[in-house]
Amino acid sequence: MKRKLLGVIDATTYHDDLEDLLTHRSLAALPFGGRYRIIDFVLSNMVNSGIRSVAIFPKMQYRSLMDHLGSGKNWDLNRKQDGLFFFPSPIVDSDGNKIGSFEHFAANMDYFYRSTQEYAIIANCYTIFNMNFRPILDWHKHAKCDITEIHHQDGTSMEMYLIKTSLLIKLIETRHETGYTCMKDVVTAIHNDYSICHYEYDGYSVMIDSIESYFSTSMKLLESDVWKQLFLKDQPILTKVKDEPPTKYVKGSWVKNAMIANGCFISGAVENSIVSRGVKIGKGAVIKNCIIMQKCHIEENCYLDSVILDKDVKVEAGTHLTGTDRSPYVIRKGSKQGALMNS
Amino acid sequence: MAKKKCVAMLLAGGKGSRLNSLTKDLAKPAVPFGGKYRIIDFTLSNCTNSGIDTVGVLTQYQPLLLNSYIGIGSAWDLDRKDGGVTVLPPYSESSEVKWYTGTASAIYQNLNYLKQYQPDYVLILSGDHIYKMNYESMLEYHIEKRADVTISLIEVPWVEASRFGIMNTNDDMRIVEFEEKPSNPKNNLASMGIYIFSWNILKEYLEMDDRNPDSSHDFGKDVIPLLLEENKKLFAYPFKGYWKDVGTVQSLWEANMDLLGEDCELDLFDQDWRIYSVNPNQPPQYISSDAIVKESMINEGCTIEGEIDKSVLFQGVTVGKGSMIKESVIMPDATIGNNCLIEKAIVPYDAKIPDGTVIRSFDDEIILVTEEMLSGLYPTY
Repeated sequence: MKRKLLGVIDATTYHDDLEDLLTHRSLAALPFGGRYRIIDFVLSNMVNSGIRSVAIFPKMQYRSLMDHLGSGKNWDLNRKQDGLFFFPSPIVDSDGNKIGSFEHFAANMDYFYRSTQEYAIIANCYTIFNMNFRPILDWHKHAKCDITEIHHQDGTSMEMYLIKTSLLIKLIETRHETGYTCMKDVVTAIHNDYSICHYEYDGYSVMIDSIESYFSTSMKLLESDVWKQLFLKDQPILTKVKDEPPTKYVKGSWVKNAMIANGCFISGAVENSIVSRGVKIGKGAVIKNCIIMQKCHIEENCYLDSVILDKDVKVEAGTHLTGTDRSPYVIRKGSKQGALMNS
Repeated sequence: MAKKKCVAMLLAGGKGSRLNSLTKDLAKPAVPFGGKYRIIDFTLSNCTNSGIDTVGVLTQYQPLLLNSYIGIGSAWDLDRKDGGVTVLPPYSESSEVKWYTGTASAIYQNLNYLKQYQPDYVLILSGDHIYKMNYESMLEYHIEKRADVTISLIEVPWVEASRFGIMNTNDDMRIVEFEEKPSNPKNNLASMGIYIFSWNILKEYLEMDDRNPDSSHDFGKDVIPLLLEENKKLFAYPFKGYWKDVGTVQSLWEANMDLLGEDCELDLFDQDWRIYSVNPNQPPQYISSDAIVKESMINEGCTIEGEIDKSVLFQGVTVGKGSMIKESVIMPDATIGNNCLIEKAIVPYDAKIPDGTVIRSFDDEIILVTEEMLSGLYPTY
């Protein structure tokens, strides 16, 4: 597998609806599931499929993504040969928001020219799934198509493509003549010299493109059949590890149907929620239907229902915050929310 | 190799026989503790946090898991270009195979390792205790006192003093007398088994001790008394803080229980003195709608459907519906079925407790669950 398939993660997408959570970070670095970032899913899947060369193309605000990925050590991609490649392209970014991914790839052609892998899998960064790509490569070779596009069971595209590296290079090099700015353009073109096949994936997979889908997909993690499909022992989702102690529950804590990461100190009530690393929940506080990101501090007697707290938020004692599941109340990173504040 | 000011030697070869089945296949420093860690994580993290970047770990008994756990030391930031952590098992010389017969002989046989770094000072530690300590402060004290050897001391309850090596000091904290496990102790300052030696003294006295055929080659029993006899400058470094020997099933359980409760003495949440370990990298824990969690510590990867009360659960533990875990320590990846009752027990790693099992202690003795015990309860187990 090492020699046959390389991975390309297109992290150039931006979803306007997630704006409140993306002011300081790129979509790929969006925290998810208490201890992960969205990109961990596709990246881990690639590594678990035996791929040892992965190129990530980020866009704009990539500092936290770069910090998260580091040298690739946490995914075993800190290698002498191949490994993890991170390709920001600031010159391309300065041209505006709607530049296609081929432009980003073109700014880093050496990676493709120097790769020894015959095939490439190009995937987006915002899908929550646990999939092994090996069967798809076998299927692609057998089907003898130019491009295999992976689909959900309902026919919608998963925006993941399998293609010969040589063909990908050709598509990037000829993008100005053909007008194709990205893989999606190629497969949706009406007149095409290429044969496109569709591979149907029947496992759990959701794309995060709005606050609503972010919230509902997060809550789905609390269901055991979803959990069982995403967190497989032999295909684990890898992420940057932190040295946090086990979570401590003290007198006054009451927890039901919740996913709690390490390093938390819980003295209050938590229900139907996802709580990330290092969160402190004070006595008498009630957290329901919430997503609490890293290192938040919720003081005594607060009441939060359908709220998303970004990292490092402090909620002062006695504060009440309520949203709805369709429209959760989002508090931006690092804010202080007081009891007397209106919004 | 670059010269190092201070190199640490961590004695991790002990069997820990009083931990019974827990140390059957595992050296004592590798025994799980605190929901996530292994005993040796505390000493190693103390080294990292104290700025000591060169540590020799002397293994002997059942070293396989301990060796692979330590690896190249990345978890404790001890994977260095120069120095870092080195595992030192016994090795054969041209003339004979040499085992480590005593703590002093273990260090003596590794003088060549130390010579590489030409250290000014050598810090001798054991991997048996749970505590947080800044060794740099102890080193500064050693230098200030112009000591030949500095021994770290802690006050122990008078009733226990006869179990330890007791130091008698003068007003300047110079050690004037040393009693190993005295029946009538003169005071309650006990040796923690942590020594800082000035390099030349270490070399000289280990060589002297090695030449003595009547010696048991132990620091406490032989080398320290020898140094005192020769009127060398031994100073006591008083330590205040949590320090626990977890060498028995009872004390291991107690130390785990010490971590519960709002204000516990050993603060694992202290960001200024982190305890590093090899992180298990499992998904966050899941607490179901049927679960009740009270005053406990739970690590990642756990799935809890029962009731957990005053207990410590390591990574990957599953607790089934209707089960109650009370005042117990459940080690990594143990599976506890439905409708079980586990009270005042230690359940070892990978144990599988069938549905409906009841294991509870009626006196104060902590039960260490074993395969034999489960086979006894379930003949087809």
